Amino acid sequence: MVWLILLVLLLPGALAQQLREQIRKYTLDNGLRVLMVPDKTAPVIHFNLMFDVGGVDEAPGLGGIAHMVEHMAFKGTPTIGSLDWTKEKAALEAVDKARADLDRAIASRAAQEEIQRLTAAYNQAREEAKKLALPNAIDQLFTNNGEQGLNASTGYDRTDYRVSLPSNRLELYLRVYADVMLNAVFRSFYEEADVVLEERRQRSENDPNGALSEVFLRTAFQVHPYGRPLIGSREEIQGYRVDRAMAFWKTHYHPNRAVLVLVGDVEPERDIQLVRRYMGAIPRGPARPNLNIPAEPPQAAERRATLEYNAQPSLLIGFHKPTYPNRDAYVMDMIDSILTEGRTSRLFRRLVIQEQAALNVSSSSASPGFRYPNMFTISAQPRAPRTTADLERFIYEELERLKNEPVGSQELQKVRNQTRAAYLRVLQGGPGLAQTLAFYELFFGGYQRIFEEEAIYNTITAEEIQQAARRYFTPQNRTVATLVTRGGSR
Amino acid sequence: MKALWSLLIGLLTLSLAQGVPADWPDPFKMQFQRIQPSAIQPTRVQLSNGLTVLLIEDRTLPFVNGRIYLRAGAIFEPEDKVGLSGIFSSVMRTGGAGERTPDQIDETLETLAASVSVSTDNLFTSVAFSTLTENLDPVLQIWADILVRPRFSQERLDLEKGRALEAIRRRNDQPTQIAVREFVRRINEGHPAGRISSVASVQSITRDDLVAFHQRFFKPNVAVLAVTGDFNTQEMVARLERVLQGWQRGEVTLPSFPPPSPKPSIYFVQKETNQSVIYMGNPTVTAYAPGYSELDLVSRVLGDGFNSRLFTEVRTKRGLAYATGGAQTQGFGWPGFFYGASISRVEKTAEVIELMLAQFRDLRERPVSQEELELFRNNILNAEVFRFTSRQAVAERIARTQMLGLSADYYEQYVRQIQAATPADLQRVMQQYVRPEQFVIVVVGDRRQFDKPLSSLGNLIEVPLE
Repeated sequence: MVWLILLVLLLPGALAQQLREQIRKYTLDNGLRVLMVPDKTAPVIHFNLMFDVGGVDEAPGLGGIAHMVEHMAFKGTPTIGSLDWTKEKAALEAVDKARADLDRAIASRAAQEEIQRLTAAYNQAREEAKKLALPNAIDQLFTNNGEQGLNASTGYDRTDYRVSLPSNRLELYLRVYADVMLNAVFRSFYEEADVVLEERRQRSENDPNGALSEVFLRTAFQVHPYGRPLIGSREEIQGYRVDRAMAFWKTHYHPNRAVLVLVGDVEPERDIQLVRRYMGAIPRGPARPNLNIPAEPPQAAERRATLEYNAQPSLLIGFHKPTYPNRDAYVMDMIDSILTEGRTSRLFRRLVIQEQAALNVSSSSASPGFRYPNMFTISAQPRAPRTTADLERFIYEELERLKNEPVGSQELQKVRNQTRAAYLRVLQGGPGLAQTLAFYELFFGGYQRIFEEEAIYNTITAEEIQQAARRYFTPQNRTVATLVTRGGSR
Repeated sequence: MKALWSLLIGLLTLSLAQGVPADWPDPFKMQFQRIQPSAIQPTRVQLSNGLTVLLIEDRTLPFVNGRIYLRAGAIFEPEDKVGLSGIFSSVMRTGGAGERTPDQIDETLETLAASVSVSTDNLFTSVAFSTLTENLDPVLQIWADILVRPRFSQERLDLEKGRALEAIRRRNDQPTQIAVREFVRRINEGHPAGRISSVASVQSITRDDLVAFHQRFFKPNVAVLAVTGDFNTQEMVARLERVLQGWQRGEVTLPSFPPPSPKPSIYFVQKETNQSVIYMGNPTVTAYAPGYSELDLVSRVLGDGFNSRLFTEVRTKRGLAYATGGAQTQGFGWPGFFYGASISRVEKTAEVIELMLAQFRDLRERPVSQEELELFRNNILNAEVFRFTSRQAVAERIARTQMLGLSADYYEQYVRQIQAATPADLQRVMQQYVRPEQFVIVVVGDRRQFDKPLSSLGNLIEVPLE
């Protein structure tokens, strides 16, 4: 969700100029773009390696494979994490063969004893492979060297790998990630698929917000992959096989589809030599394949979904809208702030303070992704004895107000000030800035785009806000998902 | 689309590796110097009313940030008013201050894109501000009014009480939230840190309670303010003298409490869910007692990150959990605790509990390898440079150190102990302070799906959900 905030940020002139002059961009022969931002506050470097690959790139039935591959890219290479690569390679191939034999036997409804025998052989093969591996070797290297924030995340549109290290570990970082891009080994694959299944339980099944969000997206997007759960369904996760995951990796994760950002104690002209030595060794891959992702057809009538769940009630409302660079996407960012940014925002004031009907209310102007037309969403939790129906009524009244009355100049100015200050705050944090730059470089046709957005927001008029509200906040363009307490009346 | 996919898979073989260029170094043999961070020292000033101020100028961005700490922690709430400090900090910020109504404060701050926030934990209440330099004067005035002259509007108190009651209604929605709450409550039993709010305790809170809490703890001579950013130190001190004029010294006496006395048991909460949330541990020592540094180090071997024992055994080898780990918490004033946790598949609940217990026992019975010790020691020492990446974080850390009465070289002592620790030291503190047979174990899960009844693992106490 960090992305959603970043998009509405603005940068005032002098600072923008200063930052702009500091940023160095290089493009290697293999297409990898490298951005460096010197910042001498402390002898550390914040790294962000981002690929334009995510959930939308998955074939049907392979839901969540981008996320699974994100996990697997931490499993090392032949030279990082293997005790004897020749033997381990053979052992990993034996695991795959044993798994394939078992799958075939199950599919052909073989005798119970046969399945038991093959299951035992498969488990035995996994044990043999494990004996030849040093698990989590990448983490071990970075831990030894004082890492902070080693992590990765997968979205519908992108995947990024991040870590911060003391600045003299630059070569270690490059040695490790270049090797991963060249030679990733998906060891302990089936154990990790079990881990992902637990992650799915934790985030999407046992968390009421996660569960409601899945129902909401499924209802709102009936054709486009934004409607599929990013982590995959349970059945899909159980069906992951190493060859299909490896095929996804080899199809998509290439230097020409990635941006590497370094923020911190760097000297660009010197450090780019080291970057070239390692990252330059990775061959260019194919361009993003055309997967013919179908467009979501315009919605014709309101859609509603209910989730019965062992939790207190909750409400999620969404409206389809265009994405950037369509001007309306920026207009909807302004509406997002007007509705829920701060205690004086319209929905907070109305629902939480005046009506005392909600515990909280929030909104997002670009959910759940950015590459394709997305949604404006509003989420709220009623305060007993008020109900989600009460909240819907108040929210729709406020949306009508946006359509019928122009926003005052003072309110408009407040929203501009808020976005401006928020942007400056992002510049204070190294990892946040690294991520923002990677994102703009990958999805907005260049990081420079950051410096052009203030002008767009500053020219948005009260009339445009009114028009956008009328265009998108209509009942037929609306999807409503409600969490209803199981066995309860609300 | 399907056709495209089978084509791709058909073309790609399982040739996983092409190797790396021959001149690339072995990453495990790469050597790097440990970077010794150059410590930033704030300027220290005492205002005429006794307030200590720590200042660090930083002209890189046009911002000023500040945070003042007061010993007005949740543990000092009256026993029958648990939840007071949370409501206090909300209404202090939202209930109006000085000459301004609640709406005027919100409107002014949001128009200036500035923030003033009040937050409370067990130890401190802190009041922070963040503003663009150009708006420093009006924001500093509002911050000072909220700090010294809060109005605690009755209307906003009622609003926050209502929201707190709704939060209580919702606090059993997530299994992890239940487990953390019950664990903290049980492991701190007998100490105020283990209390949790109730509908009755929240309902009983009045405006007079807020005023009394403010009068009792908010005195400049026992507070420390950290300010960083785009300002001139002398001018800032003059500004602070001006906005805090009239805030008078006073005596603050803090009660002391006996340490927690938890009752070892398995505390079980029935919840329909397909994972069990498991927490286990016992109280150990304060963060300034002998043995703390070694406990911190061995707790990382147990539960910090991908190469820790819990992660390796529960997640990597067996795929039983996505989230698992453990730590030694920092105890200031009363002992911290040493714990492990897992969110694991429900039909393996007992197996995971036993597996976790075995990790604690092993650390008592056998010394860790020198290699394992070095991994986590190196992490602590090499990560030291990250303590200085933000000036505001540096100033706030020093402010807290002073408030807690720790010696100025508290952290340096910790580092020296980390550098000196041996496998035998880690085993010694494990044997001395960590006692699996006396653990508080909290399990939230669905008993109908457990692999074994929890009563077979120890004394079982069922905790009903309110």
